Amino acid sequence: MEFYLSSDEENLRKIVAEFVRDELVPLEPEFTNAPDIFEGSRWKSRVKSSDDPEIKRYLGIMEGLEKKAEVKGLWRLDVPKRYGGAEISNVAMIAVTEELEKTAIPFEFGNHVSNILYSCKGAQIDQYLWPCIRGEKTSAFGLSEPASGADPSMLQTTATPDGEDFVINGTKMFPTFADVADFVQLFARLPGTVGREGVTCFLIDTGTPGYRVARSIATLAGTEPCELVFENCRVHKSQVLGEVGDGWALNQAWLGNRRFQVGIRAHGQARRVLRVVADLVRHKAADRFAGRIGHFLGEIEALRTLTYLGAWKADQKMNVRSEAASVKLFATELLHQVTDFALEVCGPSGLHKNHVLARTFRHARATRIVEGPSEIQRHIIQRELFREGAAALALP
Amino acid sequence: MDLKLTEEERLIKDTAAQFVDRELIAREGVYLKQQAPFLPPGAPAKRELDAQAAAELNERARQVGLWSLDLPENLGGSNMSAVARVLIQREFGRSVLPFRPVSIPRFLFETQYGEALADGTISLALAFAEAHKTGELSRLQTFYREEPEGCILRDSSIFIANPRADLFLFPAREQGTQRLGLFAIQRDMPGVTIGDEVELTNDWIVARLMLRQCKIPSEQLLGYEYEAGAVIASEQLNIAARSLGIGMRCLESSIEHARNRVTFGRPLAQRQAIQWMLADLSIELRTSTWLTLEAAWRADQELSYFEEAALAKKRAAKMAFQAADTAIQIHGGYGVCKEFPFEGFYREARLLRLLYGQEHELDRARGERFIEA
Repeated sequence: MEFYLSSDEENLRKIVAEFVRDELVPLEPEFTNAPDIFEGSRWKSRVKSSDDPEIKRYLGIMEGLEKKAEVKGLWRLDVPKRYGGAEISNVAMIAVTEELEKTAIPFEFGNHVSNILYSCKGAQIDQYLWPCIRGEKTSAFGLSEPASGADPSMLQTTATPDGEDFVINGTKMFPTFADVADFVQLFARLPGTVGREGVTCFLIDTGTPGYRVARSIATLAGTEPCELVFENCRVHKSQVLGEVGDGWALNQAWLGNRRFQVGIRAHGQARRVLRVVADLVRHKAADRFAGRIGHFLGEIEALRTLTYLGAWKADQKMNVRSEAASVKLFATELLHQVTDFALEVCGPSGLHKNHVLARTFRHARATRIVEGPSEIQRHIIQRELFREGAAALALP
Repeated sequence: MDLKLTEEERLIKDTAAQFVDRELIAREGVYLKQQAPFLPPGAPAKRELDAQAAAELNERARQVGLWSLDLPENLGGSNMSAVARVLIQREFGRSVLPFRPVSIPRFLFETQYGEALADGTISLALAFAEAHKTGELSRLQTFYREEPEGCILRDSSIFIANPRADLFLFPAREQGTQRLGLFAIQRDMPGVTIGDEVELTNDWIVARLMLRQCKIPSEQLLGYEYEAGAVIASEQLNIAARSLGIGMRCLESSIEHARNRVTFGRPLAQRQAIQWMLADLSIELRTSTWLTLEAAWRADQELSYFEEAALAKKRAAKMAFQAADTAIQIHGGYGVCKEFPFEGFYREARLLRLLYGQEHELDRARGERFIEA
């Protein structure tokens, strides 16, 4: 049993730690009063085309950071080697994010490519995959619908074969950044199929006739996911990602891949929230709150350990359904509790719109829903438990 | 990072698991059905492992190297790693039978008591009362002073969990310097009395080690600050590991029972209330397992591990209590029957949460360090 990172991974972690220390932490004072969108990844939204000089200035800072990161080799970390990336392990990617999350500067290394795009074939590779890797194109993910969220097998959008084409009809809810994306990864079902059968994934360019972004929807978290409408949207069969009828496996792969990042993000965010609390109480009420702070710190450490375990098992190609669901559930519920506690300590000023606690508060509530609500995670965990018995927890 | 057990670790774990299944769990039926006919109705039945069974188990545990896990090589042991000890204690935690490897702080094997402890002719009890409260010894109220003719201990009374032992190890602070010393004291030494025996709700006997005008030779001073910290951390890891075993057994039995028990036409396993209790428990079990293993691994790597051990013990013991509580709830009436192991786990886990650091004290210490940092 060995918990050390490999020497390559440790070196990478150190480079990232230096980047955070030298490039990001010095920006913290500047970002304290940054426009609200510079929290999380929202600055990648359509605000990008804003004319507001203040927003432009901050966007300029972010672009400068991207260039510096690329020079340091901190780009395309999770892209496979055959596409010119570093193809670092899940564990290493967790270590990278752990370092990045030590600061509130909303910067991450790119370019993150939706993992299912590696299923691109033939002309799709040049048309979608490479541009995403190079950062020239971005994608949205269209799975949820007005009447199917937690249970995506209920999706109703249809893809009716018609000669060489498919004709798509339906509505998709909540794809984030669809309004700025170049294409959407859309899940639809073949006519007459139900459940997981017949689900097929299409790559559909923005601007394809019959596809429109109906609106963007303001949310508590400040993100603005979109509603997409497909009305007799005709796409050629070459736009199918993977195989016709194989879309279910793709949507599961997309979801599973992100869980462990959710864990380490929440770990960092929760620690930063507790740091705010510690600074608040240091001189006046340390006695009263030390116990609660200590409790949450312990839980945060437990989350970290669980996250690394899951990422390591994913690297070993082991079944990580339980770990992924456990991390998602534990991380998002914990971040929510920590933030709730922090607000209780801080009082009403913590709810000032630009206060770091208020930002986290709005963000944390949404994380318990997106990418599978807590109840679904419990369902997945119990299903594995009853399928495999206590062996589901056996040591590897 | 490689979280797979090594061949050796797997072998150790499997040996312990086999021993626990064949020797301990196999005897549980007889043990649990012991009645206490002479107690008034309602009094908890006191059960003991009968002397012959205990002797047999001692013998067999020795044969397979599971009697004392701390023995160094020169005294017939195998210098077992902390990870290996956790893997073993975790297996023993699965049985409610009051039998487990004896725990002897390693540095004692280098003292005058080493050989006697190693061959089992004397037994040891730890008297770390203060550590049960806070998980550390900063507020220790036992004092000593060193004089040319020996160490003079200030009169005190220390809570002990195993009063039948021959030798007691306890910490004391030197008056003035505040230096922490670890003393071993024999029960037959002048000035030592053991009294106020009480039975705890989990069938343990506890008592008080009373020191009155006690003067002992300086060679009874066997260790200092670091040894004391290591004793506490090592006991915390033992508790954490044992708690993991309790969690495993309760989870496994609950899954089994939920699959088989039918209410209103459907097995319990199909009820969301049951599913979620077990889902939540499995998360606690998984996280506590890896926190414990990581703390033990850190100990083996000679990294700092006291804080990690304290956290592992806090979370694991709490998880064990939750596990026993869940198992009782899912087993219903059987859950509280003394013929089943769950009520025993419930009583035991409640105590484990109070040993070597109560939760609020461990939390407070962790929080204070963070606020100061």
